[in-house]
Amino acid sequence: MNPQRIGVYVCWCGSNIAKIVDVEKVARVMARIPGVEVSREYKYMCSDPGQELIMKDIKELGLDRVVVASCSPRMHEPTFRKTLKLAGLNPYMLEMANIREHVSWVHENQELATAKAINLTRAAVHRVMVHAPLVQHEVPVNRATMVLGGGITGMTAALRIAGQGRKVYLVERSDELGGRAIGVGRAGPHMNSVAALLDNLTTRVNDSAYIDVLTGTVVGEVSGFVGNFLVRLANGTRELTVGAIVVATGTQPFDAKKLHRSGYGRFPNVVTSTQFEEMAASGRFTTESGKAPRRVAIIHCVGSRDSETHSYCSRTCCMDALRFSNILRDALPDAAIYQAYSDMRAFGRDAEEFYARTAERDVTFLLFDKLLPPTVSEAPAGDPYPLLVTMDEIATGIAIEVPADLVVLMVAREACSDAKDVAKLVSISVDKDGFFIEKHPKLDPAATTTDGIYIAGSCQGPKDIPDCMSQAGATAARVLAAITMGKVKVPATTATVNEDLCVGCQTCISVCPYGAVIYLDKHRVSRVEEVICKGCGTCAAACPAGTISPRHFTDNQVLQQLEGLLAAEEG
Amino acid sequence: MNDSTKNVATPPPVPKKKLQMAVYWGAACGGCCVSVLDVHEALFLVLEHADLVFWPIALDTKYKDVEAMPDKSIDLTLFNGAIRNSENEHIAKLLRQKSKVLVAYGSCAHMGGIPGLANFSTKEKLFQRVYKDTESTVNPDNIRPQTSYTVPEGELTLPVFYNDVKPLDKVVDVDYYIPGCPPQTERLVDVFKLIVTGATLPPAGSVVGVFDKGQCDCCKRTKSDNKKIKKFYRPWQIQDDGETCLLEQGIICMGPATRGGCGARCIDANMPCRGCYGPPPDVADPGAKMMSAIGTMIDSDDPMEIQEIVKGVVDPGGTFYRFSLPSALLRRTVQ
Repeated sequence: MNPQRIGVYVCWCGSNIAKIVDVEKVARVMARIPGVEVSREYKYMCSDPGQELIMKDIKELGLDRVVVASCSPRMHEPTFRKTLKLAGLNPYMLEMANIREHVSWVHENQELATAKAINLTRAAVHRVMVHAPLVQHEVPVNRATMVLGGGITGMTAALRIAGQGRKVYLVERSDELGGRAIGVGRAGPHMNSVAALLDNLTTRVNDSAYIDVLTGTVVGEVSGFVGNFLVRLANGTRELTVGAIVVATGTQPFDAKKLHRSGYGRFPNVVTSTQFEEMAASGRFTTESGKAPRRVAIIHCVGSRDSETHSYCSRTCCMDALRFSNILRDALPDAAIYQAYSDMRAFGRDAEEFYARTAERDVTFLLFDKLLPPTVSEAPAGDPYPLLVTMDEIATGIAIEVPADLVVLMVAREACSDAKDVAKLVSISVDKDGFFIEKHPKLDPAATTTDGIYIAGSCQGPKDIPDCMSQAGATAARVLAAITMGKVKVPATTATVNEDLCVGCQTCISVCPYGAVIYLDKHRVSRVEEVICKGCGTCAAACPAGTISPRHFTDNQVLQQLEGLLAAEEG
Repeated sequence: MNDSTKNVATPPPVPKKKLQMAVYWGAACGGCCVSVLDVHEALFLVLEHADLVFWPIALDTKYKDVEAMPDKSIDLTLFNGAIRNSENEHIAKLLRQKSKVLVAYGSCAHMGGIPGLANFSTKEKLFQRVYKDTESTVNPDNIRPQTSYTVPEGELTLPVFYNDVKPLDKVVDVDYYIPGCPPQTERLVDVFKLIVTGATLPPAGSVVGVFDKGQCDCCKRTKSDNKKIKKFYRPWQIQDDGETCLLEQGIICMGPATRGGCGARCIDANMPCRGCYGPPPDVADPGAKMMSAIGTMIDSDDPMEIQEIVKGVVDPGGTFYRFSLPSALLRRTVQ
């Protein structure tokens, strides 16, 4: 008798799978593989009757392993693992074959699709034969949180968490709270006072009994793992122990000097949007000569949506540019105001109306192709205005020169220059532009792939104030949910070192993105800290001696799966 | 004195039956046979305990003599060399039939060895090179080896040259493996002593005369996690500091992906390990493991720069699969 008793369950997914794949044939072929005790198809395996079918077979037929051929394991692996657990089997004795996303949804030929479904399911059967039971551990959670970054996002997240009576350390490297919002007068489209908002947040943060504000403070080192982080501050001996970390480090303005065509740094009357905010705050709009400007050209997308610098849209500059036009119009009723733009991104409630209202205030909108952005140059001697903005105006199809005595560059918002250092500090990833990557853009936008590390605000991608505050709230809710549970589950699918065979070459140490592999000098072997390990397998791939193995993705399991996939027999 | 005991005849000592031993070479360079000769004075120990019944490098025993031996009459056969042609395979099968214990001796029998690198080519390409293209070949009639040829005196035959080189265990069951190119003679003597003293032998299929741990475990050089390679060097291209892990200096050393047991002679002579002792347990493909490890050491995120750095690995196939190609997952190039 074969020592293994495998149950195979092929799902129709209604007609999602069954209309392309001959599910009965798949089940028939699987039944012939030695070790397969039972092979069935059913309309919806994930439904209650479907799961009950599996549980009944496990109990009555004494199955010790299960294969479900259905949808992506991303969808229902947790479901069926739970099914196995309820029936008394270790949840890791399950393997899924994805015959929906990988077969029925992407193929039209029924015969070939069925053959592929058979191959994938056979691969799963071969793999499950070498599955091993795994245990998932739980660790207690420290209920304090560190929020990194004291801008609007960081303060909002801190207040939300503190509002539930949980300790927060709010760490800000500059000497005051407020971040990039400091100096911003008002925010479009409603022209609310940002200063008032900041004042409100700062006062509440400083007054909170649960928030420890640490300005002028830089984090030196973060060690530990979800629920149990140890944070060493760079400016002293102080150490914080926290269970969760919220990263809200924001963005920095793009340095327009990097774009020669912008004229910035070469012509004194070319200013950035940040400098314009300062003018607006002082209420004095002047050119270099000290006079009020008569012709102001506002240029969009400086460093954004541009193949030379950043390909992304910085998202807030269009509204800022409209706001600047309104401020200018209020202050200088007779000045000519030009906006050179390539797409007006006026999304969200009331934004389009704001755009329309601004257009009615004698602001001239000039459209350029983002592949051919405007160039700022010095006007020839004798011209009444010192600067010329040259562009192809594509709405009219005419190449034009706009004389101006003040040019405002709507500079991009980019990831902070030390974003990579911050990412390394807390073991999270950055995208090609340096923004932190969330765990899943839709399903888990406030978390990261490192458990216990959350992100909020513009450090994840440029955002306006309402979006920053919303994400801060979402992140706070995520943190509170984690610390309220009091304990966290650490994944069972971690890497493990066979210390009897480890030669201590240390190839694995620096490749771990989570800092989970440590070298034990005394024993001259590496060890994986399982609570930190995410099971990515990088160390196992790097280990030249084959002594590191990722549980549930061992070489043998993968090779067996390949054997099953490439097995010649057909039914 | 009890006189009665005096007259009891003492039975004459029965000479202990000597171990019947054979050594054979398949596709090999002869180095493995020399490593057996290298037992030096221990040869007396060997001869005291063993009769060498078949050893083409030293004795004139004919194949027909072996064929005439009863099955399982040879206690121990050390088979060195890979399976490259039909003669190698025929004798491998014959010796399997005649031997109680068959040992794959040396890298070629163990993993395919240096001859196994021919699996990066094909029979046709090899013949083209050897019988036509080499600078010293004069072969205007394009004469190639024939497996049989009739002459007035009768039929002449040659073994069939295979397209693939195989390790010994791909054609017969192998009891033990003694790796090395060649195996260290001391390891052979150790194994020989175990057999003649009747010690319990390890389970069939074991690799013997080795450590389970890799070379680095014996290597005296200092090792750290600072394995960042900006440029690969061949040993003659760099002044080795004599102390730091060779990999950390950019010299490709197969040490971490290779079993210990050889005495780390190459490394002690400041040369990188070439991998002749084969992979540690649980490694199916030492070349792939080492390439994967090397990949993580390349110190760049820039695809162009990475390409330039990788160009510094001269002959990656020969470097990473020098001894193991036919037994590795890779096995050969696609034809």
